[in-house]
Amino acid sequence: MAAARKLMSVRRDWRERDVRVVLVALIIAVATVATIALFAAQLQRTLVSSASSFLAADRQLEAENGREIPPDWLTEAQSRGLETGRMVEFSTMVFGAGGFQLVSVKAVSDEYPLRGQIETQAAPEQPRELVRSGPPPGEVWINPRLLRLLELEIGDSLEVGNRNLKVSSLLVREPDGGFRLSALAPRVMMHVDDVTSTGVIQEGSRVEYVYLFAGDDTVIEDYYQWLEPRLEPSHEWEGVRDGETFSRSLERAERFLLLGGSLAVLLAAVAVAVASRQYALAQRDTVALLKTLGVRSRGIGRLYLRRLVLWGVTGVVGGLMVALPLFWLLTRLLSEVLERPVEFHLSPQALIPALLTALVSLFAFAYPPIRRLRDVPAMRVLRSQPGEAGRGALTDAAIAILAVFGLVWLYAGEISLVVSLLAGLALLLGALGLLGWLLVALLRKVRGGGNAWRLALVGLYRHRRASLSQMAVFAMTLMLAATLVLVRTSLLNDWQAQLPENAPNHFLINIAPDAVEEVGAFWQERGQPLNQLYPMVRGRLTELNGEPVKEAVSKDERIGALNRELNLTWMSALPEDNEIVQGQWFGQGDVDGVSVEAELAEKLGLALGDRLTFTIGSEKVTEPVTSIRTVQWDSMKPNFYMAFPPDGGLTDMPATWITSFYLPSDEKTALNAFSRSFPTISVLEIDHIIDRIQQIVRQVTQAIEAILALILAAALVVMAAVVSATLHDRQREGALLRTLGGRQSLLVRSTMLEFALLGGFAGVLGVAAAEVAVWALQFRMFEGSFSWHWQVVLPVPLISALVLAFFGRWQLRPVLNVSPMLLLRRLE
Amino acid sequence: MNQMTNVKADRPAPMLRVDNLTHRVRLETDTLTILQGVSLEINRGESVAIVGRSGSGKTTLLGLLAGLDTPSDGTVELDGAMISQLSEDERAKLRAHRVGFVFQSFQLLPALSALENVMLPLELAGSEAPEDRARELLERVGLGERLNHSPRQLSGGEQQRVAIARAFASDPAILFADEPTGNLDNRTGQSVSDLLMELNREQGTTLVMVTHDEHLAARCSRQFHIEAGVLTEPSAVEELTH
Ligand SMILES: Nc1ncnc2c1ncn2[C@@H]1O[C@H](COP(=O)(O)OP(=O)(O)OP(=O)(O)O)[C@@H](O)[C@H]1O
Ligand SMILES: [Mg+2]
Repeated sequence: MAAARKLMSVRRDWRERDVRVVLVALIIAVATVATIALFAAQLQRTLVSSASSFLAADRQLEAENGREIPPDWLTEAQSRGLETGRMVEFSTMVFGAGGFQLVSVKAVSDEYPLRGQIETQAAPEQPRELVRSGPPPGEVWINPRLLRLLELEIGDSLEVGNRNLKVSSLLVREPDGGFRLSALAPRVMMHVDDVTSTGVIQEGSRVEYVYLFAGDDTVIEDYYQWLEPRLEPSHEWEGVRDGETFSRSLERAERFLLLGGSLAVLLAAVAVAVASRQYALAQRDTVALLKTLGVRSRGIGRLYLRRLVLWGVTGVVGGLMVALPLFWLLTRLLSEVLERPVEFHLSPQALIPALLTALVSLFAFAYPPIRRLRDVPAMRVLRSQPGEAGRGALTDAAIAILAVFGLVWLYAGEISLVVSLLAGLALLLGALGLLGWLLVALLRKVRGGGNAWRLALVGLYRHRRASLSQMAVFAMTLMLAATLVLVRTSLLNDWQAQLPENAPNHFLINIAPDAVEEVGAFWQERGQPLNQLYPMVRGRLTELNGEPVKEAVSKDERIGALNRELNLTWMSALPEDNEIVQGQWFGQGDVDGVSVEAELAEKLGLALGDRLTFTIGSEKVTEPVTSIRTVQWDSMKPNFYMAFPPDGGLTDMPATWITSFYLPSDEKTALNAFSRSFPTISVLEIDHIIDRIQQIVRQVTQAIEAILALILAAALVVMAAVVSATLHDRQREGALLRTLGGRQSLLVRSTMLEFALLGGFAGVLGVAAAEVAVWALQFRMFEGSFSWHWQVVLPVPLISALVLAFFGRWQLRPVLNVSPMLLLRRLE
Repeated sequence: MNQMTNVKADRPAPMLRVDNLTHRVRLETDTLTILQGVSLEINRGESVAIVGRSGSGKTTLLGLLAGLDTPSDGTVELDGAMISQLSEDERAKLRAHRVGFVFQSFQLLPALSALENVMLPLELAGSEAPEDRARELLERVGLGERLNHSPRQLSGGEQQRVAIARAFASDPAILFADEPTGNLDNRTGQSVSDLLMELNREQGTTLVMVTHDEHLAARCSRQFHIEAGVLTEPSAVEELTH
């Protein structure tokens, strides 16, 4: 057995091409999956924390019922190690030297903000500063607009209810300002401990209590498990991921990463399958020999199983050795993009998919053909047995496909992903079947000659079995790679379209009807034309088909829109990015009806024709629902839940106008002049939010590119594995052809042609299948619109034809420029 | 009966003329001389056997004669062409049109059927109707029923018959056979060698054959001995006295 065991040593194995391919494929699979998983976890954490500043915390708990939450909810959070903070938001009148003004107050505790920073100014025209906490007790920070409205100076006092609080600073921007249009009144920020003494909050006042939480993700999740059963309908637990603006970008990025990982798994699995099958075929002689020497089937099974385990360990260790530095590099990259240090965090759970991948690749793909080695008859030593090669391939394939899709499912958690990829693959295999049939039908009659073309066609026909299976693997590889490239492209395009270079980054709110023209002229003069202006009327939805809306809608539906005043508008044309899903947009001259945003309509259970009653000031307006439309909430343009036709229900209601426009950062000083000229108009600055989103998009893009590169490397390994599978046969054939008088150039040309045809066909099939998969994915996962991708459809088959032609040429290398005699000796 | 060949004057140009052929291969430490000063002439239509012990250099010599390799020293003139002066492509062309091979280990391509294996040299030579000719030859070697079988499905003797059909396919002027019966049992070897001699006679081919088989060697018109890379031709008289 010592000699037999020597035959089994891994070091010796490494010298065998097939084993090298198996190991390299395993290493790449483990490396890709581990890197992606680690990086996805890291990215997730980073994105969440950079987005968390929009909540000033990781999570917010809002109590919209005007009551504080039981104190033990907070102590519980603290006892679990979470940071907490507290805010109270309400509207009130404040008084200064120059009069009084309705303001929106935000009273914050010392801990605020748990995430992000507050931007302040010591006085107008002074530089802006970033600070990490709000005003101390006894002081207020106010919106710069209030200074003028109330004729105040820094250091004066502001009367809030029963208290006089000192204006100590100007509040330019709060991290959780967001761009909710409801925040119309100028902001006053004070300390939460001063609230009671102002006496502003009475029984029945409209107050919102907001609690902030920050800490480790798992702790927060645990805490939420504890909290959830205690919550009432008026409590809203908000995380970044529920936020409107980021959720989609984040989700897509994450899905893309998972998709990339899944494809890497598939590719690696294919490579492992091909290489180990080849390996098993090559091992049959050794096995037969061992059997004639008296080794029993069981012993052989054990020997190869041990070898498989060794491969697995090598693959995992090697893969991690690649993944960790790569991950470290990506993290560095990330922190460079973010221009701040990113903590290098290794989450052990992220390694589980990588281990599973190695395990499944080995046991579902490599094991079946190798296990069958046990059954190799000893007779093989004397005479090769016909028909051995094809046996069991189908069962192997079935097991493998099931296993790998199970893995993808487990990994990406998306049945639609699995289904999309399966659809693409099914199409691919169907087309291959057809192509195989055509190959036999059309090429059967072609006869070779001194002509490279004919020899190439004859070659394709004669090697049809090998050609088709190679084509299947190439096409699959190309399909997976093309899918990824296509999804990436459309993802980036979508983001680009969503936030173009000059996306509006400032809102002007509260423009009086008679100021509209002047405001337009002001910005026109400065070369910053305004986008479309919309009228805005504030009103509450009070009745649904004549019934009070709170009764008409089931109690446990928490609908923020019902508790707030809504922004109502009228418009004649449907905004470009809105889409009618039911009913019809207002026609020319229509004056009846209202168009409702789709999600709200669904929450309220609205149908076309339902009659909605709005209370606007002291008036009531009732209109039937005539259309339901979707709205792009993340478009950074004014969006409305309710839209009326011009001269419709809102005519004669007190309206102000709203618009958005793009202001480059170096023009921001114009805002000061604007505020002086139009003191009553609110300017909502969202440029920092847009910058942030663009930054996130940039990071994710970089990550996506890096992962794409990894996966293309995996694809190349698969190609190499498949090509090298027939290497020996091809070389032997080349040598014999030369002995029989084939010229080198003929050999080279016909081989390159044959491979080019193979690559071209595979390219066409792969791209077609990728389009199908992308079409399905786009629909199910990325919500994009589908169109043909000529930039991929044309070059991929060409490139794959070229690449394969050179692979073919490269294979022939040892057969050329060597005397045929030597070749024959070598191949004997 | 071969005395005529010693008279140089009124002879036609020989099929094969070898002059002072030497072949060395470079090994890691020193060079190994496999063939030493081999000279011979073979006329058209002759059948020649080369016998010698294993490792004496028979296969090497055959390869050099056939232009599969170039010698270190000396010249080979095959069918009027100086092999060492030809480019690799010209040698290939010569092989395609004038030379046939039968190998000890058959050298059939497993991916191709018997028929396709025989068609291969015909296609390379740009023949008009390769399939008909291949079919005809396979029928001639008694494998008309096995046209579409893969070499794996054929026995050793059958495989060698396919190889013989392939060797005669391009109508070669000279055929090289390296121990064509070496891998076969006596009776099968007998039938394969019968076939080879018959075809050789029918087609008027020059035959150069390496063999261990005394009977087969005896059926050739001339015999050469090779020992440690040195070729000798025992005279016909000596042969008769032995
Ligand atoms: N390329 C080479 N490199 C090293 N040694 C070689 C090479 N070619 C031939 N030899 C050696 O030259 C000697 C002659 O080889 P050759 O194959 O010609 O012998 P042979 O007479 O055909 O033997 P056999 O009857 O066993 O086939 C052998 O010892 C062989 O090992
Ligand atoms: Mg030999």
